[in-house]
Amino acid sequence: MPALELDSLTKTFDETRAADRVSLSVPRGSWTGLVGPNGAGKTTSLSMAVGLLRPDSGTARVLGVDVWAEPVEAKRRLGVLPDGLSLPERLTGGELLDYWGRLRGLDRDLTRDRSEEMLRILELDRAERNGTLIAEYSTGMRKKIGLATALLHTPEVLVLDEPYEAVDPVSARVLTAILRRYTDGGGTVIISSHVMALVERITDRVAIIADGRVLADGPLDLVRGDDPALEDTFVRLVGAREVGEGDLAWLGF
Amino acid sequence: MVGVLIRLESTLGRHGVSGTRGGTLALLVGGAALTWYVTVVASSAEVRSQLLMLLGAVWAGAWILGPTITNGVGVLRPQYFTLLPLERSQVGTGLWATAFVGVGPALTLVAMASTARHAWLSEPATLSLGLLGMLLSVVFMVSLSRLVFRALGAAMHTRVGMEIASVQWGLIVAGLFFGWAAIGPALSAAGDLAERGFPAPVVTVLAALPTSWPIAAVDAAASGAWGAAFGLLGAFTLLTAATVLATVRLLAPRVNARGRGRRSRPLGRRRSTRRLPLLPDGPLGAVVGKELRSWWRDPWRALELRSALYAGLFIGLFGLMADRPWITLSAGVFTALVMAMGGSNMYGHDGSALWLTVVGQGRDTVRADVRGRQIAIALLIVPGTLLLGLVSVLVSGEPGASPYVLAGLLVVLGVGNGLSVLLSVVAATPGVEPHLRVDANDTGDTRVQVWTSLIAIPPLSSPTIVVALLAGGWWAVPVALVNGAAGAWLLGRLAHRRLAARLPETFARIRYGGRVAERSLPRSGGDPLDLLERTALSTNEDTRPTGS
Ligand SMILES: Nc1ncnc2c1ncn2[C@@H]1O[C@H](COP(=O)(O)OP(=O)(O)O)[C@@H](O)[C@H]1O
Ligand SMILES: [Mg+2]
Repeated sequence: MPALELDSLTKTFDETRAADRVSLSVPRGSWTGLVGPNGAGKTTSLSMAVGLLRPDSGTARVLGVDVWAEPVEAKRRLGVLPDGLSLPERLTGGELLDYWGRLRGLDRDLTRDRSEEMLRILELDRAERNGTLIAEYSTGMRKKIGLATALLHTPEVLVLDEPYEAVDPVSARVLTAILRRYTDGGGTVIISSHVMALVERITDRVAIIADGRVLADGPLDLVRGDDPALEDTFVRLVGAREVGEGDLAWLGF
Repeated sequence: MVGVLIRLESTLGRHGVSGTRGGTLALLVGGAALTWYVTVVASSAEVRSQLLMLLGAVWAGAWILGPTITNGVGVLRPQYFTLLPLERSQVGTGLWATAFVGVGPALTLVAMASTARHAWLSEPATLSLGLLGMLLSVVFMVSLSRLVFRALGAAMHTRVGMEIASVQWGLIVAGLFFGWAAIGPALSAAGDLAERGFPAPVVTVLAALPTSWPIAAVDAAASGAWGAAFGLLGAFTLLTAATVLATVRLLAPRVNARGRGRRSRPLGRRRSTRRLPLLPDGPLGAVVGKELRSWWRDPWRALELRSALYAGLFIGLFGLMADRPWITLSAGVFTALVMAMGGSNMYGHDGSALWLTVVGQGRDTVRADVRGRQIAIALLIVPGTLLLGLVSVLVSGEPGASPYVLAGLLVVLGVGNGLSVLLSVVAATPGVEPHLRVDANDTGDTRVQVWTSLIAIPPLSSPTIVVALLAGGWWAVPVALVNGAAGAWLLGRLAHRRLAARLPETFARIRYGGRVAERSLPRSGGDPLDLLERTALSTNEDTRPTGS
């Protein structure tokens, strides 16, 4: 049974078909990258997969549990990091984790130990000591505290939307190390990103999405085939405008 | 540069919903017509001058309060321009100039033209003074309007500023309601005004207002005192210039939209422990703790809470000044009522942070979210309203009224509390996302919630009202207790059931806006809550810029 299964998810906004029968199967213990340009439908698909956006048709299953039929059961197994959403802005990072632990029904001491450790590893502990509110966090810090909330209840499947966006290189390494540890322990990760070079470097499976449709999906090597880089695969699948010899001739000195 | 901004402003304006625009337009046309009518029927030049002064003050007042009340004005935000390679002051000047685009300033000019007419009728030689006064008045009012609006926004970044904004809001709200109580006597007096003018003390006060100076200048010139005339008009010119300069400065974008560094620790944050003592473990305790902290620390929430308290306080004071004990006695109930409206868009207020409730949905978490919010509001508002009620009984010297005050408080606190969460769920309307907020009214539009509260609270309190009228105050107290508790419990239950059933839909309302949310509702029919939600969708405006 796959850890996460997107089954023909479809969503239309006004005229735009943001997701068009998106199907994807993420095996247990794998780390999958969902790549595609801005507006490809990554956020829309992942939102439908985790119960944030009701699909027009299709459904998603977490370890066999239907997200839209048994939301409570499915959400217990899921850890989610959405992209660019608000948080309870007037809490500190530590207070947010405390709130989240209680809401998830975790034991008080367990929550405290885990959140302290996570704040330390994600280098948010100094902000915490200063009483910095989330409203005052930078974009990268918001990603990090979001990741901490996603991990706090040790979910079996992690769904992260653009987790590396605006995160500095040092923190990005920490983030990768955390996720590697998590998959080594049997956890399953799916991340979205529009940076193909990054996904190629860290994940072991990829799915390419453009215009709301999944164009390719599978182990990295198989999807890439003979192409030197994932980017080339993408261009081969989608087609891209090249800058020709005569174009932009005025761009010279 | 200015031209570009003006075009942008009218482009953005065109995308706004036209409901309020219609209402505002009607008010403006009516106001201009009334101004002309009143000054035409005035019996003498002296009475006309007095009426013009009064109307000038009313126009200025409308310009000061209008944008804050109607939510809609000032679509262009200074922060849109932070990244452009323009001098900050250039942007400020440009934004100031855009304030003069539209029917508002145009109709104000029409109304103020009655000053020029007054000059012509009094003494043709003063016409130029009258024309200058007319133009200056429009510049002054429109600039002052933007100045106050921005000052309220800038205020949201400091605690003292928030406090001042709360006092202003409290005054506005109390004034609006006290206005209704005062409207009867005012109307009966109005007939005499055009005939005989105002009593002397009123004239003295009126003449001292800056908006009256151009008219006073015309009057002085008409009676031959040209020196005084130039002095008055010169002073008004200086004042207008100062207002314009201050406005241009305040309209220049600030470097950091997210708020200044904070030196003190946030309220409710203890060094040793991260937990609020006494809160139970589990989802309910989690929500109560988060909510209490948000009410303490978020300036926008604190504004709702504190302006409700100030509104009650001012109602009490107005009642005392006007010697109307029943108005004074309603201070506490009034605060509870205003707070019921202030808490009626909590999910819109929290913006897309609702994703935590969606993703963290457990067996009991949605109920805990609604009940926790109710408990937090009750903890915050009950002590203040009880104190206001007690003090109002003491100072009004009506001890016999105390059971009525107590019954009123119990029932409105309970019913209002339940109605707040229910409307928060059903009529959730997004504002600017919390971490991007700047202005005092950047939280969502609550028009539907306010009207629904005003209409629904009396019938929901009817058991208490009936018993109080038929059997007297002391009988009403226990009834009010049951009435209030039942209201809070039942309405809260409706709220959490609705939220649980429509959790992703409520999130979609906030995250994706009205157009996407609309599709999840039946087009017609459905239960009363569906109807209410449709009404909120079509009436409340999304302040939030949409897009992914
Ligand atoms: N609220 C909305 N209204 C209309 N169209 C939307 C909305 N949100 C997203 N879209 C459209 O859906 C498509 C997919 O968007 P999204 O899932 O956010 O892409 P990605 O995350 O891959 O950048 C885009 O074409 C976008 O314009
Ligand atoms: Mg996205």
